[in-house]
Amino acid sequence: MNIIHTKNLTKTYIRFEKEEGLRGSIKSLFKREKIVKTAVNNFNLEINEGEFVGLIGPNGAGKTTLMKMLTGIISPSSGTISVLGYVPNELKNAYKKQFSIVMGQKSQLFQDLSAADTFLLLKEIYDIPEDEYRKNLKYFIDLFSIADYLNVQVRTLSLGERMKMELVAALLHNPRILFLDEPTIGLDAVAQKQIRGFLKEVNREKGTTILLTSHYMDDIKSLCKRCIVVNNGCKIYDGNLEMLFDRYQTHKMITVTFDEATSYIHDFNVQIIERNPFKLSFMAYRKDVRHIINCIMTECEIKDISIEEEDIGNVVERIYSDKGGALIEEIF
Amino acid sequence: MKKYFETAKVLFKAQLVYRFDTITSIIFTISKVFLAYVLWGAIFGKQSVVSGFTFNSMLSYYIISSFINQLDQSSSTGWQISNEIRNGGFSKYIIKPMNIFGYFTAQTAGVSAFLLFFNLTAAVIWIFIFRVDFAITSNGWYIQSASVLILLGLLFMMQLNYFIGILAFKFLDTGIFMMIKDNIVQFIIGSLIPLALLPSGIIKTMTFFPFYYVSYLPTMLLLGRNGNEIFSGIVILLFWNAAFGLLISITYKRLKSRYDGVGI
Repeated sequence: MNIIHTKNLTKTYIRFEKEEGLRGSIKSLFKREKIVKTAVNNFNLEINEGEFVGLIGPNGAGKTTLMKMLTGIISPSSGTISVLGYVPNELKNAYKKQFSIVMGQKSQLFQDLSAADTFLLLKEIYDIPEDEYRKNLKYFIDLFSIADYLNVQVRTLSLGERMKMELVAALLHNPRILFLDEPTIGLDAVAQKQIRGFLKEVNREKGTTILLTSHYMDDIKSLCKRCIVVNNGCKIYDGNLEMLFDRYQTHKMITVTFDEATSYIHDFNVQIIERNPFKLSFMAYRKDVRHIINCIMTECEIKDISIEEEDIGNVVERIYSDKGGALIEEIF
Repeated sequence: MKKYFETAKVLFKAQLVYRFDTITSIIFTISKVFLAYVLWGAIFGKQSVVSGFTFNSMLSYYIISSFINQLDQSSSTGWQISNEIRNGGFSKYIIKPMNIFGYFTAQTAGVSAFLLFFNLTAAVIWIFIFRVDFAITSNGWYIQSASVLILLGLLFMMQLNYFIGILAFKFLDTGIFMMIKDNIVQFIIGSLIPLALLPSGIIKTMTFFPFYYVSYLPTMLLLGRNGNEIFSGIVILLFWNAAFGLLISITYKRLKSRYDGVGI
């Protein structure tokens, strides 16, 4: 069932530009240069219930603006939005009870109190029945293993612990949709992995629809089947994540080590990363990998060989720098 | 209603977190009573009555009025609202299924309840130690009317500060509005220039503003004076509350669309 639907959604911001220096500041008191920035442009989106969708794009692409419009925090300049049959910007309480948003850089917990105190407040704000509250709290305490620091002042928690608490706070009222804006920002690899595990579980067990923005492609790759790429406020790709990576993860990283000093030279179309008599690292087109490996193994005495996927950062850079139109035509 | 009660409770709990702060706040109240005792003791000297007030009734006036003024914590809530609008933190209130004004009122009430509880206890102890013959009236009608006026006055101050806070949707920096408000309030309640020095026409005009009834009139009522102003005080405060309720509703609807939720 389609629960998020937007049509020709556009948001423009008005900003003011000021010339640098004191003179510019005085001048701007009398006359300011107005700049109109289109953050989201004619955006069409359909999301079904239970989907886990990744929203990626460079900084300033319009991802967060889109989320803010879907939650009703800001109003669109034009176009229509319907989420669970509601117009978000009308901010009806019945709608607010059915979604949650977690912003990695903003907290909804009271810093001076324990997370348990905030949870009690949220129980009343969302009118969560006592039984349901106890059941949900127990479920999340077990899932996130947070029993030990539930009653500790939030201010003293580590970033990873705090983020777990933020997620519990967002999920206590069983929202049908969870909007996540960079939930793993600043977390170490272990905490990131844990958070990913919880989100996967919540999506699978509770059927919560999740829309996730993240700059960490590992988050997107391990959680989302569907991915939407946004750049300059426009949707440049919407579809299967694997297909996107098949198209853009064009290279593989090959590292060969030799038992003896070797000066292997061959006319391959590769990009050398490291070269010394005992080691050779290079990037090769995926289609050429089999041929290159065959040649090396035939012509040299090798000690070890490794073939790895290309660094995800390169792939992302390639996706963002592509022309939107060309991308969509080629994929579909 | 329970959600707002829980909000007030959370803020009450938040005041208790830092023990040093709690103790200092109590000591501050105590020192205020002590200073008033010394100051008015020096002013009265050998006189038994100054401007119709005895030493005890003057001290009682000071304690009650500073107590009522301290109960009004809405100014810091106003600052908080405008800061949160400016840095994007206001979004977390917009998306909650609650009345935002109700939430901030409950939050302010939680802080006021803390001050009421701890400082009242401290003040009572000190009144006992200094053996201040507390000149509070025993007239039940005056006490009830003063309580109603205090509640209406606090609600009005909350509405006024909330209104200034949400002006940040348009102006971002509401510091100047806060400053103007503070000056007007100080002028009307007579803390800048004693009201008695002003022409009677101006004093009469001021009685149409709500500030006169927020702390001055309830204090006088609790001292058993100005009973003839009860009715007009309640009517004027009801009028200003209704007017600001309407103003807030219109302003919020008109200005909310300007909110960008920056920083998230």
